[in-house]
Amino acid sequence: MATVKFRERIFGLLFMPDSDRWLALLRFGLGLQIIFYCLSLRGDWNTLFAGEGNNFVSRDLTEAILRIENPLIPQIGWFVTLGSHVDLGEQATLSIIWALLFCAGCFLLLGLFCRSSAIIAWLLHLCAAKSGDFFTYGLDNLMTIGLFYLAIAPLPDRYALDSKLWPARRSDPARLGFHRRVLQFHLCVIYLFSGITKCLGAGWWNGESIWRALTRPPFNTIPLQFLVSWKGVLPLLGVAVCIMETGYAVFIWPKKTRLIWLLCILGMHIAIGLSMGLYLFSSIMVILNVAAFAPQFRIENWMPLVRPARRNGRIDSSTRAA
Amino acid sequence: MRRRYFYLAWFLFHFVLVVTISCQQTFSILAQGYTDLPHSLNQYWRKAAEITTVALGQDLSLSSPVRKSLTAYLHGTGIEGGYGFFAPNVPSSYKLVFELHHRDGHVEYELPHVSGTATGLRLTSLLDRIGRSQYEPLREVMLKMLAYSAWQEHPEAITVRAVFGYIDVPNVLELNEGKKESYNFLYAYDFTFPSPPTDSPPP
Repeated sequence: MATVKFRERIFGLLFMPDSDRWLALLRFGLGLQIIFYCLSLRGDWNTLFAGEGNNFVSRDLTEAILRIENPLIPQIGWFVTLGSHVDLGEQATLSIIWALLFCAGCFLLLGLFCRSSAIIAWLLHLCAAKSGDFFTYGLDNLMTIGLFYLAIAPLPDRYALDSKLWPARRSDPARLGFHRRVLQFHLCVIYLFSGITKCLGAGWWNGESIWRALTRPPFNTIPLQFLVSWKGVLPLLGVAVCIMETGYAVFIWPKKTRLIWLLCILGMHIAIGLSMGLYLFSSIMVILNVAAFAPQFRIENWMPLVRPARRNGRIDSSTRAA
Repeated sequence: MRRRYFYLAWFLFHFVLVVTISCQQTFSILAQGYTDLPHSLNQYWRKAAEITTVALGQDLSLSSPVRKSLTAYLHGTGIEGGYGFFAPNVPSSYKLVFELHHRDGHVEYELPHVSGTATGLRLTSLLDRIGRSQYEPLREVMLKMLAYSAWQEHPEAITVRAVFGYIDVPNVLELNEGKKESYNFLYAYDFTFPSPPTDSPPP
């Protein structure tokens, strides 16, 4: 009896029915993210991933190290080899990969061929992240996480063009809820461990780490004199970061604290983006947080052009909050 | 119902990995002694990190199918690393300067440059990796590749010296005392490349 109850509680927690609005936000956000990621690297893409005679560390070296670790990890070299079989040079193949990734981002934004676009975006971004491993930072891991969850989620959502062009059976709300739970739990783990490790460093309690983060090249976008004039606030900001991150896993769940915690975390990421120039890193965190924990609202009220696809003359109203 | 059990099994598998890797990274940071915790505990953190390494199959041989499958899954899902962004403390940033020595004895100075801000952030990551690298030959190879790119733009230089160091940014008190940002030397490597430059990679 107790086992049955426990099982029901676990299933109730993991498979709580949810609407597909969070998935629409995730798809739309990651589509935009991919587009800006591609545009931000356009000028240096071929240089970053060239195998020979490039300006940085050769892709051949990164992939050789990667192959020693595990030859199964996707890498750009696979596509370059494939391209060479049809007489495509390395530079041409790299340009095609960039264009494909950019198109996958556009398709995700529109909701066209959602599943294929999500898988292509995940695979190509993963290849770029792994083949350019020496150049990666937190952004790439978080994008891989987001794209992986999107690729396995029950796509398409009702706001996708796919749903309007090829009406299909609505996704199981319990499955939608499950995938959202996975994203929610993962964010909790990310913030918990990030918060705990920050709490263990003295610098986060006396403002030293905030000072160093804001004055460390190349993140030193705020004038030094301005920072000096606000030096009294830095310890408070450091403590606030520790509390927000460590407390996220607890305070994001109760309805009373969810919105305030979410707004604080979003504020923190937007501030990081603006003050340190880490725009893409901030935007991926905002996208993941909004998709995971934003309260249910009707997207069509915000964007009149995006109307949910109707099924049997009525709109699905499964909007139970997670 | 059977499908739900499948999802549950995957969920457990996935999150055990996510949490284990996060623990491993945290224990590794603690073991390095960069936190305010007593240093006498470092050996225990090291032991805990070793246990998580075993749990993740990272002590198996590289050819082990279990290890291969696990690492492929970890990389594919983006969960192979921890989440200690700027923790426990914000590190100094590294800087690379190229000294281009010419035949007539004059020396030019160059910095690695990129065309976009986004790539600039990635270059910072690369310098961090070079700075943290404990394996000297790998560090030298990476610096040689970067030096080669600088030399391609100045093929008349007979030697390129890659000087690697870190920037020490003063804190608020030091700034008020008039201390300025300083560059601290770590390593220097001299590289010569065959002239004239070709499209071939550095020797």
